[in-house]
Amino acid sequence: MQKLFKMTVALLAVALCATPALADTLKVGVQAPITGSYANEGQGIENSARLLAEQINAKGGVMGKKIEIIPCDDQGTAMAAAICAKELVNQGVSMVIGSYTSTCAEAAQKTYFNAGVLQTSDGTADSLTEHGYWTFFRNSFPNSAEAEFAADYMVNVKKYKRIVVISDFSSYADGLGNAVEAAIKKQGGNVVAREKVKADSQNFTPVLTGIKSKNPDAIFYAGYYTDGGLIRQQQVALGIKADFIGGDANDNPDFVKLAGSAAKGAYIINVPTPEMLPYEVAKNFLADYKAKYGSLPPSIWTIMNADGMRAFIHAMEQNKSFDTKKAADYLMNMKQPIPGITGPLQFAKDGNRIGSSYMTFEIQADGKYKVAHAQ
Amino acid sequence: MDIFLQQLANGLTIGSMFALVALGYTMVYGVMRLINFAHGDMVAAAAFVGLTVYTQIMGEATSLGAVIMIFLLTAIVMACIGVVLERLAYRPLRTAPRLSAVVSALGASLMIQNGIMLVWGPQMRIFPELVPQVYWNLGNVVISLIQVVILLLSLVLMVALYLFIEKTRMGAAIRASSIDQDAARLMGINVNRVIALIFIIGSSLGAVGGLFIGLYYRGITFNMGWQYGLYAFVAAIIGGIGNIPGAMLGGMLLGLFNAFIAGYISSTWADAFTFILLIAILVIRPTGILGERVAEKV
Repeated sequence: MQKLFKMTVALLAVALCATPALADTLKVGVQAPITGSYANEGQGIENSARLLAEQINAKGGVMGKKIEIIPCDDQGTAMAAAICAKELVNQGVSMVIGSYTSTCAEAAQKTYFNAGVLQTSDGTADSLTEHGYWTFFRNSFPNSAEAEFAADYMVNVKKYKRIVVISDFSSYADGLGNAVEAAIKKQGGNVVAREKVKADSQNFTPVLTGIKSKNPDAIFYAGYYTDGGLIRQQQVALGIKADFIGGDANDNPDFVKLAGSAAKGAYIINVPTPEMLPYEVAKNFLADYKAKYGSLPPSIWTIMNADGMRAFIHAMEQNKSFDTKKAADYLMNMKQPIPGITGPLQFAKDGNRIGSSYMTFEIQADGKYKVAHAQ
Repeated sequence: MDIFLQQLANGLTIGSMFALVALGYTMVYGVMRLINFAHGDMVAAAAFVGLTVYTQIMGEATSLGAVIMIFLLTAIVMACIGVVLERLAYRPLRTAPRLSAVVSALGASLMIQNGIMLVWGPQMRIFPELVPQVYWNLGNVVISLIQVVILLLSLVLMVALYLFIEKTRMGAAIRASSIDQDAARLMGINVNRVIALIFIIGSSLGAVGGLFIGLYYRGITFNMGWQYGLYAFVAAIIGGIGNIPGAMLGGMLLGLFNAFIAGYISSTWADAFTFILLIAILVIRPTGILGERVAEKV
């Protein structure tokens, strides 16, 4: 009996391993935090990749080959990520989608590079594309992109002439404030004041009174919503006619509550939530995602990874080859962006995605967002 | 000049909030020689109680009558809490060394602060826009309705308190108790009742201050009492702790001082200068601006 059981198990194992090998497939690894604190995002990445694979397979696959998804859980830790990288390479994947965090993507990068396996991640740390690995493509935008977008919006779109940049003292806000100030100057804009406020100090009227005398037409606030909402409210109360533009940390429902009736007309810059994406590709993908999984993807980051996968497959189909080096060369030299779920998809030579998905939202009288500007 | 006038308006608004809170410190100190460190947290608690009264009892009504009711109910609730606080935390220690009472006050402060956190949660809560956002432009200076309301209501309350202390029999009892409790008792004054009364008055004025903070700044957090308490405490010392007109004067001066430092130097330096001012006052005139010179008891 024991023998029979063992034989069955062995047979089953052989059968399981052998089946995919027999049918020639395009193996796509998904390295994502499927468990752990980012499980929500990790599962979103896996779901997105599986949905894409299903859709492509239904149309006959990639040049006749069906896509096979091989997931690996990196739990959001660098150690598990390094193990995942080895495992996926051993299983013979030609591309890897993920991971969600910059740390995990970075820990796995070298293994994929050595094996010539394409990798795409939504990690935003600038360092990811600074190693010179031709295998790595970022499907999101680095941290510095927000500052560039904000400066471009204020200088070139709204044509503000007198901009004030305020931040608090936290490293995030101060860093963003400095980056925005530098980007405005680079684009030929005029920063009339760079102020810093103490977070949670509630009373910003003294600083704003000083700003009022500079007669600004725009105030950019780089800190968090708890202070941003109050600054907006006190700015209006002081009769400063400038537009208010808040950085991504102002994107919180409490901003509107804090600013009260003054919230109307304030602008907030952030990446959109999935349902805000205006593109046709996005609407179709999200509808399919909802039909299959019962809810929308947890964040835009998960579907940015789907865009990375779409770019790789697009490159292979255009080259009519499964060669990863050729695909990478193709992506680095694309003249025209391809329509992505999260906006136009195009890559620079260092693997960074070109452009940014940042958007400017204008707060309406009812507190809802309206897209005021998208790149 | 515009900046000067604008900061003057801002300073008077913050100053009147400081003054209301400072009165609570100074009255308790005047009678009991105790720094009631829990007072700042009582002010914070008042803002949260006011929020709950607004959402649960008034059904989110924003009419003038509803706003008055919110102020009254919050003041009553806080007055009750103040009396209970005195019974539990201070009365048992009345004859104990001064230090024990101060430690008890610090303990009460932490207890109230954490109590707020447990009941209302650690995240920032948003106070409703109960006073319509109406502004007047006087040249380049903007005055808002809420600033006028805060300033006028504070002045009315302070004048009423001053008259109560100076012109009524209860006021005379409070003054007598603050000079010498034993002698007051011998004169037939119920000192326990006087102390309960000052906690009622101090806590309800603090409650009004807390509601003003909520109305003016909108965002309220469970640990904000420490900051406002400290400012009000400094205001009470500047004016002369134990002296009621001194607390009013100290609050206003501190508010103006803060606004001008923030306006002309830097808002990040406002706190540092406030405490430099405190040290300077303590060195030059330890009893405060209106404090009487008392002979050292040896």
